[in-house]
Amino acid sequence: MIPGNVDPRRPDKVQRYKAPQANGNAPVEDLTPDYMNILGMVFSMCGLMMRLKWCAWVALYCSCISFANSRISDDTKQILSSFMLSISAIVMSYLQNPQPMTPPWATAVN
Amino acid sequence: MKLWIVFMHVLLVSCSVWANYQDQQDNEFAEFEEFESDDAFVQSTGAENLMKEPEPIDADNIFITDDDDGDIIINDDSEFEHFQDTEEFEGFAESREEKIEVEPKITITKVPIHFRANWDSYWLEILMVTGLIVYFINFATGKSKNTMLANTWFQSHKQLLEDNFTLVGDDGALEHIKESGGLLKESENTFTLWCSGRTCCEGMLVELKLIKRQDLVAVISGMMRPTLDQVHIKVTMDSDAMEPFVFCVASKKTATHVSKETNDISVYCPERKSGERYNIPSNFQVMSEILEATSAMLDSKVTAILNKYTDLVDYIHISDQYSGAKQTEDTGALKLPEVKKVLLFGFNMPVKGMSPTEAVEQLKPLMVLVFYCIEKVKRFRLSKESKTKADKNRLRVEEVFLKSTHAARAEAAANRREEKRRLEKEKVMAEEDPERQRRWEEKDQKRQAKKRAPKMKQLKVKAL
Repeated sequence: MIPGNVDPRRPDKVQRYKAPQANGNAPVEDLTPDYMNILGMVFSMCGLMMRLKWCAWVALYCSCISFANSRISDDTKQILSSFMLSISAIVMSYLQNPQPMTPPWATAVN
Repeated sequence: MKLWIVFMHVLLVSCSVWANYQDQQDNEFAEFEEFESDDAFVQSTGAENLMKEPEPIDADNIFITDDDDGDIIINDDSEFEHFQDTEEFEGFAESREEKIEVEPKITITKVPIHFRANWDSYWLEILMVTGLIVYFINFATGKSKNTMLANTWFQSHKQLLEDNFTLVGDDGALEHIKESGGLLKESENTFTLWCSGRTCCEGMLVELKLIKRQDLVAVISGMMRPTLDQVHIKVTMDSDAMEPFVFCVASKKTATHVSKETNDISVYCPERKSGERYNIPSNFQVMSEILEATSAMLDSKVTAILNKYTDLVDYIHISDQYSGAKQTEDTGALKLPEVKKVLLFGFNMPVKGMSPTEAVEQLKPLMVLVFYCIEKVKRFRLSKESKTKADKNRLRVEEVFLKSTHAARAEAAANRREEKRRLEKEKVMAEEDPERQRRWEEKDQKRQAKKRAPKMKQLKVKAL
């Protein structure tokens, strides 16, 4: 397809890579990690304050999903703090009440 | 008094509990056994009286007699009498009756289940932990598969890219370009590659958007709504290397999305035509500004590729007015968004049922197509009429934009003028020389008066 004898390369025309998103338009990229982060924090707080074990477990799952979907450029501190919060919610719930967890639908059924 | 009654009652109850477990043979309490059928309260009262010295009880009411053994026998009657003495206890008669009627309630305290003794009750926790373990195993496998796929793609295309670009792979870091640059990992499922150093184009950005294999939730939702691994290529042309036209050929679903979302296509290409007209499969749709450009772009080679690799090509978008996606809300921009001359390509990479090497190899002819298109666009020249038409279109778009933002721009200009005046005033005020200030104020007042006065046309009367 391309004439083989002409070398299209031009070393003098090399331009450095500039990461996109320099302008202020809305990022088209995936917002899952951010949503999951917030959701995880909300569930952790619910689990801690209302001593609901299932909330704490859901918070841990949200943190994991956020971690899996996170970009490399994201702050690791954010992810770590989210994990720590959800683990502390679980630990506190079990320290206060070592009973096994009742699923949330059990209370609704009874 | 009442508090003392309560305290006594508590002690009595505890003593009765203790007394019940005593040896029946114990002679000390043998006398009280016959009272077991009686009211428990009375019996415990008796026991209490024996053990402790009830203080505020009037000694006169108790008849304590000694029997032959020297044991103390307490006369029943006097005891009963003593407790019926209303002078001694307040409100006692009524409450006593109540207490006789009420049966002692036995509450079984909840003893927490011990973990080690009873694993089964913790089934939900075990399930949760298992779920987490499964999630992390999937994360590890998904991540490694994606990385492997990306690296295989890169290795397979490396030679082709190096033949066309001086710089293949750049991380954009400030320091000197790394010679061994390669794929950049944006996330566990997105990889980018920047290539530069070629005639007529500034550079090429290749984005590998793979399926989120590392996220179990995404994998499960992928079972219901399947997605494909995709390769997105964006070639930025030099400002003088491209004729003005907007053209796009895309699969149906992508075409709908692109014609609605992208700025340039929605403005310059209102119509969508089926691919059959141009000898390409019917699942493709063509959106074009200038007919001449369409026929030039969809030449025999391109149509052959489109016919052969129908499933692999998602879209080909060539535009000199590309500015990204449409802004959803009114950003109040006063200038037209910045446009670039680009060639955009989107290819699907089906991986199911084949090895990664095979999967990436099938994309190689498409990469060759990319370079072919670049050369074509560089060499293509519009006819005069087409060019005029294109220029007119762009001018019209600009006018429409300017009109719509006229009010906003006027306001911005007025604001700027006001700001300028304010700054000038501040500068003058800050100066020490009063003379200068006075002169400036005069000038300013004249300016204001001129503005406020109605604009009258001056008629020049010709001297006859």
